[in-house]
Amino acid sequence: MTTAAVRRPRLVGVDLQDTEENRPIVDAIELDNPDANLIRMPGMVKIQKEGRLVIRRTTVEEVLGREWETHEFQLSIISYVGNISEWDEDQIVIEWEH
Amino acid sequence: MAKASMRERYQLLTRDLDWEPSYVTHDQLYPYTRFEGIKIHDWDAWEDPFRLTVDSYAKYQAEKDKRLYAVIDSFAQGSGHLQVSDARYFNALRLFLQGVMPLEYQAHRHFAYLARHLDGPGARFASLCQSIDELRHAQTEIHAISMYNKYYDGLHAPTKMHDRVWYLSVPKSFFDDGLSAGPFEFMTAISFSFEYFLTNLLFVPFMSGASFNGDLSTMSFGFSAQSDESRHMTLGLEVIKFILEQDEDNVPIMQEWIDKWFWRGYRLLSLIACMQDYFLPKKVMSWKEAFELYLEQQMLDGLFPDLAYYGIRPPLHVEQALKEKEYISHQVHWILYQFSHAASFTTTVPTKSEMDWMSAQYPDTFDQHYRPLYDKAAKMQKAGNRFFNPGLPMLCQVCQIPMGFSESGDPTTLAVRFSEYRGERYNTCSDGCQWIFQREPEKYVQAWLPVHQIYQGNCGGPTIPEVLDWYGIQPGDSGEYRTSADAKNWTHWHEPAGVK
Amino acid sequence: MAVNSIGPYDFPAKDRQEVYGDDQLIHVMWAGNMLFCSPACFRVPRKMKWSDFKSMMVDPWAGADPDYHPDKVGEWRKDSEPIEPKPDQTLAQLGIAHKGIVSFRMA
Repeated sequence: MTTAAVRRPRLVGVDLQDTEENRPIVDAIELDNPDANLIRMPGMVKIQKEGRLVIRRTTVEEVLGREWETHEFQLSIISYVGNISEWDEDQIVIEWEH
Repeated sequence: MAKASMRERYQLLTRDLDWEPSYVTHDQLYPYTRFEGIKIHDWDAWEDPFRLTVDSYAKYQAEKDKRLYAVIDSFAQGSGHLQVSDARYFNALRLFLQGVMPLEYQAHRHFAYLARHLDGPGARFASLCQSIDELRHAQTEIHAISMYNKYYDGLHAPTKMHDRVWYLSVPKSFFDDGLSAGPFEFMTAISFSFEYFLTNLLFVPFMSGASFNGDLSTMSFGFSAQSDESRHMTLGLEVIKFILEQDEDNVPIMQEWIDKWFWRGYRLLSLIACMQDYFLPKKVMSWKEAFELYLEQQMLDGLFPDLAYYGIRPPLHVEQALKEKEYISHQVHWILYQFSHAASFTTTVPTKSEMDWMSAQYPDTFDQHYRPLYDKAAKMQKAGNRFFNPGLPMLCQVCQIPMGFSESGDPTTLAVRFSEYRGERYNTCSDGCQWIFQREPEKYVQAWLPVHQIYQGNCGGPTIPEVLDWYGIQPGDSGEYRTSADAKNWTHWHEPAGVK
Repeated sequence: MAVNSIGPYDFPAKDRQEVYGDDQLIHVMWAGNMLFCSPACFRVPRKMKWSDFKSMMVDPWAGADPDYHPDKVGEWRKDSEPIEPKPDQTLAQLGIAHKGIVSFRMA
């Protein structure tokens, strides 16, 4: 059942609106995922990473300078690739399951 | 009292509000979730990664709308329509408004049905939120584009056109196919195949394209809608995994649906391929690039190894789509180019710089097969004979697109597949569409094929002007862009204002 | 396989021959010419003579290509089967199916 050979690295990631409000969030994601790859497209930023991408509330709050609840991420996100394996008060984790 | 955690709040506000019926049986209350052969043993195994509750849903959706309407208003107030790259761009909006917006409304209706008829409270609540989202999308899409209706043609009757016009029967019949299936097939079709597997190809490059072409209004609508879409993607993936985990007997059924709805969705997106390569005057990325990024890299390399765990393989006919990425946008634009006299959009021969861009993007096909066609069309137009196809096209019985697709990997030979069912002949455009037809012929023999309907006398009359009138298409909406009212107005509005 | 449904599922085909009375639908394809994106669809009487079909249906359609020469066409086929239609033969006599395809090439 696991015959599908992985031809290229399996990326996960999020697409975010490229706005003033999202810039600190993008910065926070970069801090927590140092090897993430950023692609800028008109109006949006695409963040890709191999394996696992994590968005931590505390890091976002630190960069943002105010309280931030993870549900607010719904205002920033355009799309994602992967599987949301965790979304609680403290973090959002995107990774493939199998 | 301490604030409940997200997990507890979700449990309290969603799952714990459910009850077991006592006046009727469970099966009487939920009569539609067994006839498709899908076996669900435990609806409580349904996970909602967003842990969305009704209060946070309302709070964030209100915020999204507030932001969106602020942008739309100021853009309209500042004559934003003059900031768009070129009036040709509005053809993309026409196709979007006529083709996609009514699907959002249909999705709203059908998710409302699922919100009533699925057995599990978690799945019902996710469907309810999506139903409200889809209504928001239909409304905000109309609102975002309505400001252009004052200045440009072809935007005045999208819902009427959706029900009647030939090229719009492509998205309409796609969605009707899903709506008329059972709830699990619908979710595989729309939530998984369309919203998870293919949505990025539809929305992301297009909205980024709107941004690049100065259409702030559509960009804001699109990104706002797309933020809901992330939730819908999650629902789509959850649906698949949930069903696959419930019973091994579900696996072959799901595999067939994934096979079917990949090809259905992929064929529908060929209109987007054309829109992306031809209708956006300033190009963000080519269809081929978007296909490689979103479909090959993210889905085939990312998602499908995950699904292999459950015994699901990549969709049938995907290798044909991989070959077609080299030319499908050109084949579809060539169809729309020669039939735009009967459409609610205009087309034209691409500019030289656009054609050079296409040569660079499609080095193995554009100069070999398509540039010569545009050169010939340009020559005809120069001689006062703009090329329009004087016939009505042969249509595929399944995807309903004119039969302009070629044999896989050979752009010069048209593909025609035919099947027989109860003594009658049915034509399809590809192995994929033929496979879908032969799987459920009794469904597709009912297809409302626009060309055949015209010949049956059901579309206003036998002549093109009568049919266009019945379609709700007005003079000025169709034909050649360069001689259109939009082109004239655009030139007039953009005459240099500075002192020489 | 059959459609899974909540009740009996048996509906007439929307484009069955009888809906068109004495007429039928025929598709015409100019093989090897990409100018026409797809074959064209015509509604014609089954009793129509080949010569009329050619001059009243095929020629005006194909003539939208300035390179079309009505007397230089040949290699007629009914689907993949080569045919040599005679001017007086009717479409019914030629055995072209309802919704079938007739194709030609230009020399």
